[in-house]
Amino acid sequence: MATLPRTRPKYRRLVWRNTVAGWSFILPNFIGFVGLTLLPVAVLFYVAFTNWNVFGVAEWTGTANFRRLWSDASFWTALRNTVYYAVFHIPLTLAAALGLALLLNRKLRGVRFFRTVAFFPYITSIVAIAVVWNQLFSPEYGPINALLGAVGVDNPPGWTASATWSMPAVIIVGTWRYMGYYMLLFLAGLQTIPAQLYEAAETDGASPWQRFVHVTMPGLRHTTFFVTVLLTIESFKVFDLILVMTGGGPGQSTLVLSQYIYQKGFEENQFGYASAVSIVLFAICFGITVIQFWVNKRRNS
Amino acid sequence: MKRAIPAVISAATALTLVLGGCGGGDEPVDPNAPVTITLAGWSLASTPEFKTLADGFKATHPNVTVELKEYAPGNDYDTQMITDLAAGTAPDVYVMKNLKNFYTYQSGGQLLDVSDATTDLGSSPALASYQVDGKAYAVPYRQDSWVLYYNKDLFAKAKVPLPDGSWTWDDYTDAAKRLHTGLKGAGSNATGAYQHTFQSTVQGFALAQTPNADLLSGDFGFLKPYYERSLDLQASGAQPTFGTAKTNKLTYQAQFGKQQSAMLLMGTWYVATLLNQRKSGDADKFQWGMAPAPQFDKSTTGTSATPVTFGDPTGLGINPKISKSKAAVAKDFLKYAAGPEAGKALAGIGITPAQATDAVTASLFGLDGVPQDELSKFAYAKHTIKPENPVSKHTAGLQNLLNETHSTILSDSKGVDAALSEAQTRAKNEVLNQ
Repeated sequence: MATLPRTRPKYRRLVWRNTVAGWSFILPNFIGFVGLTLLPVAVLFYVAFTNWNVFGVAEWTGTANFRRLWSDASFWTALRNTVYYAVFHIPLTLAAALGLALLLNRKLRGVRFFRTVAFFPYITSIVAIAVVWNQLFSPEYGPINALLGAVGVDNPPGWTASATWSMPAVIIVGTWRYMGYYMLLFLAGLQTIPAQLYEAAETDGASPWQRFVHVTMPGLRHTTFFVTVLLTIESFKVFDLILVMTGGGPGQSTLVLSQYIYQKGFEENQFGYASAVSIVLFAICFGITVIQFWVNKRRNS
Repeated sequence: MKRAIPAVISAATALTLVLGGCGGGDEPVDPNAPVTITLAGWSLASTPEFKTLADGFKATHPNVTVELKEYAPGNDYDTQMITDLAAGTAPDVYVMKNLKNFYTYQSGGQLLDVSDATTDLGSSPALASYQVDGKAYAVPYRQDSWVLYYNKDLFAKAKVPLPDGSWTWDDYTDAAKRLHTGLKGAGSNATGAYQHTFQSTVQGFALAQTPNADLLSGDFGFLKPYYERSLDLQASGAQPTFGTAKTNKLTYQAQFGKQQSAMLLMGTWYVATLLNQRKSGDADKFQWGMAPAPQFDKSTTGTSATPVTFGDPTGLGINPKISKSKAAVAKDFLKYAAGPEAGKALAGIGITPAQATDAVTASLFGLDGVPQDELSKFAYAKHTIKPENPVSKHTAGLQNLLNETHSTILSDSKGVDAALSEAQTRAKNEVLNQ
């Protein structure tokens, strides 16, 4: 009996010490995260229900912003364009990244050099990328159209200078930019597949294609899931690439949601309305991610 | 998603500052005590006008120091300024680059009533732009207007007669095409004209010159003939297409300064740029001139009439958070900046002040490299200037929408009629009903 009171303070002290140690590890990052991300996001959920215009007070307007959104043709255009970008950008980047990873997962001479080259677009300044690609795409003076003309295309597309072709142009550049990054993730995933599995498959007389389908694909399942989630969020949030390449134009042909938020908020000072659009974008990203996790779970079980 | 965060931060900061109560004291003022007021500017290294104003004011008010605060150039200036005003960290005196955002500042209570600083400034359309309910909230210190710049050497090469001030838009279109043919014949690659990608290059003229055109009416039919002429010039090759100008990031400074195009419609701020670039070698040294902007019809052409053009004034306003002791000095500074003395000093560095006087014209045309012909002087000094932006809460939204319409039409994505009717529908349902 006499020993109990003595151990308890000791135990408490230990818990206290662990808690302090734990918090002190995450605190530097956590302070920044709370101050610069978490709190503003919480405030955003309030601002979205007001008519705040940067100066003066934010009047509570209830669901007015969301009702306006429902009948706002530009919002629907931006949503359509965002989906357009995502639907093409996700599978294309996934395929390109996986292809590159398989190609560069061998014992080749200079393989490191090629891996670095594939990763270059991802670390290059986005503004430089936009300027150079725009010049390549230039309808009358660009090498791309000169090449197309040389192989007998009569009416080459106007790319970023035409409403029909501007989004495909942005998707091409987006895919080219991000494939190197996701290639790295796939490379890491490929390294984890045991070599014995391939040897066994070869002994059983599996063709390269069968090996890919029955060994590589299942082995990469977790990586593929992770990459798909990242790609989806990245596609719906696309902003910088569009802003520097086309500015949303010509017309509204490449206007995406995050740019629409920027326009309404920072150009027209309708922060309440812009926050409401942000919430919709957040809900879309959140919803899709939840569905992806759910599908992944079911497959795993 | 992350984009809204800075706004929220600025709101939170603003709230803290309001609660914290940042206000100036109001102790009695000794008029000769040393005092410092702060003034916003941008690209201070390459934009001498702010220093010119600060130094000029110091000459008459030796006890006052005007301290410059650097802001981002371009459209980011307004974003930054709005954030600082909301947070309470903006300078005492700040610039309104154009009329597009004046409504935001004024209706948001971010401008002091400066009516008593405008009593000696007479009356001008620029001054009137800054008046709301009979009170002035800013003073204009610059008033640029759009003129036609032309390259006399290229005209001679193409054997096309020089502009004489009698041009309507049809004459301009015709001259651009003849220049194009003539220059081609002379073995030159230069185009007849260059139309920069700004929406104002079409819409500013259409709004200013078409009788009864009104942006806020939501009826954009007045833009049609102006766009048809631009499309015609593009299709004939007389000017680089909008797509090429956009994708190849053409700059008007290089197009005209490096003799790539024989004609350029641009604001009078380009005079100072062109002179500087001739010195630095970024522009060739060739014979150039200014002519009045082409007109809507014959009634305003010729040097005996007054041509109609457009241009927003650039204004100065006072931050209401200024301490009471400094408000009087800041108003004196506004009086000076908008007055004739500052006007002469600004013209001396190639900038067009708000008050166009003969002294100002003489000062500008005394600069090295400015053409000396009568038509250039006439184009610079005589015109009716209409503002590009009406002062209204709908202006920013309408201009964004019309900028999208501008690229739709000039990229041939839609026909003029279809694009304008879509713009009208959008204006009605997305902007004017707010």
